[in-house]
Amino acid sequence: MSVELKMAWRNIWRNPRRTILTIAAIAFASLILVFMLSFQFGCYETMINTSVKISTGHLQVMAQGYLEDKKMRLVIKDPEKVASVLKKVEGIDAYTFRANGFSLVSSERRTYGVVVTGIDPIKEASVSTIESLIRKGSYLDLEGIYDVLIGEALSRNLKVDINDELTVLGQGRDGSIAAAVLTIKGIFDSGIDEFDRNVLMMGLKGFQEVFSMGTSVHEAVITAHSLGDVAMVKQQIQNDLSLQRKDSGLNVPDWMEIMPGLLQGIQMDLFSGIIMYIILIVVVAFSIFNTFLMAIFERTREFGVMMAIGTTPGRITKLVMFESVCMTLVGIFSGICIGSLLTLYFQKYGIYIAGTEDILKEYGIPDRLYPRLSLISASAGPLVVFLITFVSSVFPAFRIRKLKPVEAMNAV
Amino acid sequence: MKKALLTIFVLVSLPFNLYAQIDAGKIVKNAFAYWRGEASVSIAAMTIHRPGWERRMKIKAWTQGETDSLFVIIEPAKDKGNGTLKLAKSMWMYNPKVNRIIKLPPSMMSQGWQGSDFSNNDLAKTDSIIKDYVHTLEETTIDQGKKIYLIKSIPKPDAPVIWGMIKLTIREDHILLKEEFFDEDFESVKALTAWDIQMTDSKLFPMQWKMQKTDAADEYTQFVYDKIEFKQNLSKSIFTRTNLKNPGL
Repeated sequence: MSVELKMAWRNIWRNPRRTILTIAAIAFASLILVFMLSFQFGCYETMINTSVKISTGHLQVMAQGYLEDKKMRLVIKDPEKVASVLKKVEGIDAYTFRANGFSLVSSERRTYGVVVTGIDPIKEASVSTIESLIRKGSYLDLEGIYDVLIGEALSRNLKVDINDELTVLGQGRDGSIAAAVLTIKGIFDSGIDEFDRNVLMMGLKGFQEVFSMGTSVHEAVITAHSLGDVAMVKQQIQNDLSLQRKDSGLNVPDWMEIMPGLLQGIQMDLFSGIIMYIILIVVVAFSIFNTFLMAIFERTREFGVMMAIGTTPGRITKLVMFESVCMTLVGIFSGICIGSLLTLYFQKYGIYIAGTEDILKEYGIPDRLYPRLSLISASAGPLVVFLITFVSSVFPAFRIRKLKPVEAMNAV
Repeated sequence: MKKALLTIFVLVSLPFNLYAQIDAGKIVKNAFAYWRGEASVSIAAMTIHRPGWERRMKIKAWTQGETDSLFVIIEPAKDKGNGTLKLAKSMWMYNPKVNRIIKLPPSMMSQGWQGSDFSNNDLAKTDSIIKDYVHTLEETTIDQGKKIYLIKSIPKPDAPVIWGMIKLTIREDHILLKEEFFDEDFESVKALTAWDIQMTDSKLFPMQWKMQKTDAADEYTQFVYDKIEFKQNLSKSIFTRTNLKNPGL
């Protein structure tokens, strides 16, 4: 340990109360940043995963142009071929095929326009949570191709219950009229209002028959092992698909392209969070700046003496910088430790905020929130605190260079 | 002296202006009355054209006055018997396969009828142009010895309409040649054109109609009449839900 470091360490404990207060401020700022960033990231991941699990998947394969304009004619003509590609790609958790059509659906008393989605009952269960969302009746099976699942809100709007019949009237892929009488087998409640009000699900086989689809589908819905794998999986599917056919006419959008609203919501929330953090950091920085400035004014005499006995101003500056770095590091380190412990505790047990269920439900978030500690959330905030405090200690430190030994020794 | 001349000029020109206003409204009213007749029974082929594919069907239609109509698909066989009944502003659809009648909710009125470029609104509100718009004569030209009126129609304030402006081209013998629809920014959205004017059982009538989106040259819906008969009156029982189910084709 160099002499300067040793001196710096001893110096900071010459006034323990002030030092502890400063360290506490730094530690508190770091703690808050670690916890809040983890909390935000945790919420985002929950939001993304909920949406992904209910409807869109992490990735989809679809015909070029289908994402922008859901025209019935834009189909994946040969789903088998796509399936053979998807089976080989690493990082894919599960996939399923779906087909969608806009239709009028009517009960005895009411008529609404809805999206009818054809799903493969077995594969769908491995991709989405729909099976676990059934509140009444039961999930689809392979036999009942004219059975349907509807959302709780839609069932209320149509005034129907399980085992009631619905008439669907829409347009098939060839432009002919698609009509069928369907039996309600189950009612689901996803908690996402729009989904519960506008979606009707039936077996893919039945859908293809009613809507003259042949064996074609509209989208292949894919879930990856984790959110982080999405980019890699996307790249690989794109490569493999284009290898198979030069111009496959297929597009591989990820969840950010499928749900731009969700991404924008996250960006907006993160941005307002960052503004809060900046304010917090600036306040902490000023208090540290003040502490250092005070310390130097107070110790003018001491510095004068040190210079008089031959210490160069550069060495004193170094000493003061070491003091600030020591203090900051102790603060940040304890902040990260306590913050991480706190985060880990809540990561395990969740945070329940009373009275927010409804608003969270709208965004598809369960009523308990779980922060998620990661390397980024644990280090990003404290790192910024370190940089800012370092900068705010530079200015007082450089004032020392202007000191003249005789004048300094005479200062009060 | 100058003042007197001016007064005379104003007095003389005033009736002309008034006349022009009344005239345009009348031209439109007459044209639409002529187009629909008191009542009509027709058979037409409808072609929906899209980039890469086309769909054809044959339709039998009954109309009565400005509000009531019944359209039934007679070809292709797969869709035979599918019908749409419109009474005043309500619409019902019937499908023989499931043997059900569905009443169209108001939110569906701007959707295309049977996937065509004619919206349900186009079918349900064809009389709205007479009631909800103010018409002005923009220009009169002469083509093949017949006067052609170009009329601009702007919706009355608070009228429940979807178009910001409609431009009509009407021949002096009441034949509607073109109806162009504009949005609130006066950008052209779609246009209906008519040609192939022939003598039907009682009057001259354009046998071909085409509705085309302005920004998509490859997307249109075309109506070609096989046969159209104009009648004085049709039985009320034609425009009922019972008849929608079984129109006796």
